[in-house]
Amino acid sequence: MRVVVRALALACFFLLPGMGTPPVEGGHTVLITGSNRGIGLEFARQYAARGWRVIATCRHPEKAVNLQAIAAANPQVIIEKLDVTDLGAIDALAHKYRDTAIDVLLNNAGISGGLNNQRFGHINYATFHDVYAVNVVGPLKMAEAFQTQVAASDLKKIITISSTAGSIANSTGLLYIYRSSKTAVNMAMRNLANELQAKGIIVGLIAPGPTNADVVKGRVPLGKPEDRVKVMIDVIDRFTLDMSGSFVAYDGKVLPW
Amino acid sequence: MTRPLCSFVSRLGFVMLTAAIALLLNLAHPLPAAAYSVDAPTVLITGSNRGIGLELARQYAAKNWNVIATCRHPETAKALKAIASAYADVEIEKLDVTDHAAIDALSEKYKDMPIDLLINNAGITGGRENQQFGHLHYDAFFKVMDVNVVGPLKMAEAFIDQVAASDQKKIVNITSSEGSLSTIHGARNYFYRPSKAALNMVMLNLSREVAPRGVIIGLINPGPVATDMMKGVNMPLLTPQESVSGVITVIDSLTPEKSGKFLQYDGKELTW
Repeated sequence: MRVVVRALALACFFLLPGMGTPPVEGGHTVLITGSNRGIGLEFARQYAARGWRVIATCRHPEKAVNLQAIAAANPQVIIEKLDVTDLGAIDALAHKYRDTAIDVLLNNAGISGGLNNQRFGHINYATFHDVYAVNVVGPLKMAEAFQTQVAASDLKKIITISSTAGSIANSTGLLYIYRSSKTAVNMAMRNLANELQAKGIIVGLIAPGPTNADVVKGRVPLGKPEDRVKVMIDVIDRFTLDMSGSFVAYDGKVLPW
Repeated sequence: MTRPLCSFVSRLGFVMLTAAIALLLNLAHPLPAAAYSVDAPTVLITGSNRGIGLELARQYAAKNWNVIATCRHPETAKALKAIASAYADVEIEKLDVTDHAAIDALSEKYKDMPIDLLINNAGITGGRENQQFGHLHYDAFFKVMDVNVVGPLKMAEAFIDQVAASDQKKIVNITSSEGSLSTIHGARNYFYRPSKAALNMVMLNLSREVAPRGVIIGLINPGPVATDMMKGVNMPLLTPQESVSGVITVIDSLTPEKSGKFLQYDGKELTW
């Protein structure tokens, strides 16, 4: 009986048109950094809604009430405490999940450094270190630590949330530290894409969207996080190996370096 | 006393008092020690003890510029000392570009000197052994960023007034084609490549910020040059002399319109 039901279900989803990318049986796993709020939280919510296992990391799980609510409603969501500047903690987490295939490693955690620390003539160089530790070292170390788990998965994707502010060609506005950190992580991931191509691991850079620092004609609606993340998840789904190393906007449009 | 004698004594006293005050002021704010030619332009070069920096010092000295040649260890910079001996207007200054207090002190020392050209040349690779994926050594990451990105930015902050006060008003950064996201191949230099890309971003931003003051920002790739940095690299290399001749030609050609562009020793413009 169970076999019949399963066969019927399988037949249904192969036969039904307009399904888009069908979820693979058995489910997938995504690991998200900085998942307590903002885009990270929304990624956790939407991947959980798709039935994925979500390893949702953040620095202070005890304070992450919204994330806790998602975990309470979805048993496949696991919250893990992680500060991406703590290299030992990254190694420990990777060891804990050493036998888990991770389909998508989502390097989302990022900080801006604050406007007042980045004014020319008064640049705060301690902030430079802090920002680069989170925005550049964090994603690179995560990729190193979890490369085996990603390689063992079906989808094999390492996606880093970058920023249009990191595009040198489209560079307007200041924020010396934040912008250059995103340029730096773009380069690190471009490099990594070349490294991991032979292993079939896809390395992508996605910019969530225009920020206040960008000069745009007229007012560009930033859109609701949930709409933006829905589109980004679709972009991640469609990210193939020949696109590895690309820097794209939330809608998949290629951005200039 | 007679009136002429009184007057003489009081004038002498006045002169002596003035001289004493001048001496005290000079001790408090000593002028830079070396000979300095008022008519010649001034260049300040970081990392000038060897490689491209040394050749820049040599060629600018030969052009009779005032050269402020900085390096971390002047005491062992034999080739640089030889240049300083050969030319009157070359001053060697001890400077580690990761030491911000030292940068501020050097700027203070030269606060009244217009600097036509600041060349942020000091740079490090980070070492191949530290940049193998799977075994990345992140303390080297921060070292590379401190020298290659923070150093030039801090130098620009500290010396912007002197540059703006000069005739030529140029801040030139020695970058690299390894910092070009659009053209890099292979997987290497996990720290060095991002550092040069970050330098490019920072300096393009700066070019916009300082444009109203007439300051021009250069980003120049010197090409693959036969220096210590390139030891063990198996490819055709330029001599420092060839590269630096080209770099200087590009520097001479810099105008406000070219500020912030990613250029190369042969005049070519590179893509980000």
